[in-house]
Amino acid sequence: MTTPPKSTGNGRNLVLFVVLTAGIASGIAIFSSASTMADWFETATSGLFLPLLLSLIVTFLLDPLVQLFERAQISRTASIFAVYLILLLFLLILLSLIGPPNWKSMLEALRADVPRYIARVLDYLNSLLANLHSQFPILENYDITGKFRSWAQEFLGLILLETPRSAMRIGSLFLLVPLFSFFFLRDSQRIMRGLISLTPNRYFEMVLDIYDHVSWQLAHFIRGRIIEAMIIGMVVWLGLAMTDIRYAPLLGAIAGITNLVPYIGPIIGMVPGLVIALVDLGAGPQFWWIFCVYLLIGQVILDNFILIPILISRVSNLHPLWVILAIVMGGKLYGVLGMIIGVPIASVIKIALLEIRHYRTFNSTRDLLLSDRE
Amino acid sequence: MAATGCTSGGSTLNPLWSNIFRKPGYEGTLAYFLGTIPIFADLGRRDLAFLETLVHLRNYRPGETVFVEGDIGSGMYIIRSGGVRIEMKDDQGANQKQAELEAGDFFGEIALTTPKQRIATATATEQTVLIGLFRADVLDAVRKRPATASKILLGLTRILSERLQHAGLRLGDRKYLHLTPSGEKPE
Repeated sequence: MTTPPKSTGNGRNLVLFVVLTAGIASGIAIFSSASTMADWFETATSGLFLPLLLSLIVTFLLDPLVQLFERAQISRTASIFAVYLILLLFLLILLSLIGPPNWKSMLEALRADVPRYIARVLDYLNSLLANLHSQFPILENYDITGKFRSWAQEFLGLILLETPRSAMRIGSLFLLVPLFSFFFLRDSQRIMRGLISLTPNRYFEMVLDIYDHVSWQLAHFIRGRIIEAMIIGMVVWLGLAMTDIRYAPLLGAIAGITNLVPYIGPIIGMVPGLVIALVDLGAGPQFWWIFCVYLLIGQVILDNFILIPILISRVSNLHPLWVILAIVMGGKLYGVLGMIIGVPIASVIKIALLEIRHYRTFNSTRDLLLSDRE
Repeated sequence: MAATGCTSGGSTLNPLWSNIFRKPGYEGTLAYFLGTIPIFADLGRRDLAFLETLVHLRNYRPGETVFVEGDIGSGMYIIRSGGVRIEMKDDQGANQKQAELEAGDFFGEIALTTPKQRIATATATEQTVLIGLFRADVLDAVRKRPATASKILLGLTRILSERLQHAGLRLGDRKYLHLTPSGEKPE
């Protein structure tokens, strides 16, 4: 009577062994296929990140305009077309007024000038280092200029190599961004409604309410950030255009884009302008005017006193530690682009979390009130 | 009230014209059904078509809870098909049935304007399809189509004020009832 259970026990062990082996094997298979799938996914979507991001930004910017048309009882699709048409006309008028930008000569000049600027910075760094070495002999061992030179050469190579490719990419952006943003503008609400309708009945009202709050805050925040960057860019451009500095539009654009990153961005955005000013114009009154444009007018007066209080609520302020973390993590994931958008994305996450917490505390205080009343 | 499904700008269309413009099968559509609800009686065809894009259709199993007394409400429900039981807690905390609602009835409309707590519990009594209209969507409509939104809100105000007047009258009756020594309910 003891053998049958024993044999079944053996059988059980065997079955267990087989099942475990199969489980581990299939686990490894799934894992490897999952990583292949992830690879495929990454390859397939690698070029799409920037167009999607830009289309989302365009969508957020154009949505109020589209709503303006919709108010006049025009259908949403027709409103989007109308907005596109007006923008196109505006751009055409702008181009005919100031003439098409001379990309080629601008690029040639930039190619010739960038090495000059870098060489000048290297000279300056060398003199600084010589000074430093005389005071701190320990630093002799660190080849800071060498590092900077190799980095600069890499950067230069990148510019020379990437320009034709990035021109292709920019061309495709002109096609993809309007297309994507058209569909985002037209169908985003339907898509989100479809997603929200998947929530169970019991939580439906709550989810809808929270989604409404979060999306409103986000739209407000993103729109505010972009308009802020545009105004800063324009003001820096205008301020620089008053001097003899070259590349004023480009420097304005750099200042605007880097302004998206709080604390660190504006400083980084200042560097190219100041370097060009120092090399081309010297440390005269024009340099100090440029310095004032960047620091006093752009940052202190315009950004801190006017734009941020009007456009951006204090809610979205991030702790400096989170800003640094977001920049580092964004840089790891998506390079320079990731560094720029890391902080806005962190703010977006913070806004979403705050809204959800606000909703829940609101609920619990209601409960408290109820218990007080009872 | 239910017959004025096809009105524009407050004046009822000539039946002949409304028959010509009414597409066959329109009576079966959600827009037509919404037009039969007293709150949306002022809305024209275009407004109703827009309203159709605002509302959410939700399916409930028999016995499934729609909301519980004390929940933060964010909108109203209209019964498309099926039935809903409305209950309120009495002093002992036991649920007391207040009403049985059926297709075409609506409930929870007070929450449409302010995030107040639900004062009653709503439960589906059978397989039920509810049409939900929520504050978020109405606010969206205020931004996008102010004219339509104000018609909806006016309809809501009319219903609420009618109800307020009714309650006031009943309160007056009660005061009167309280004063009459016989205790008979005055008709």
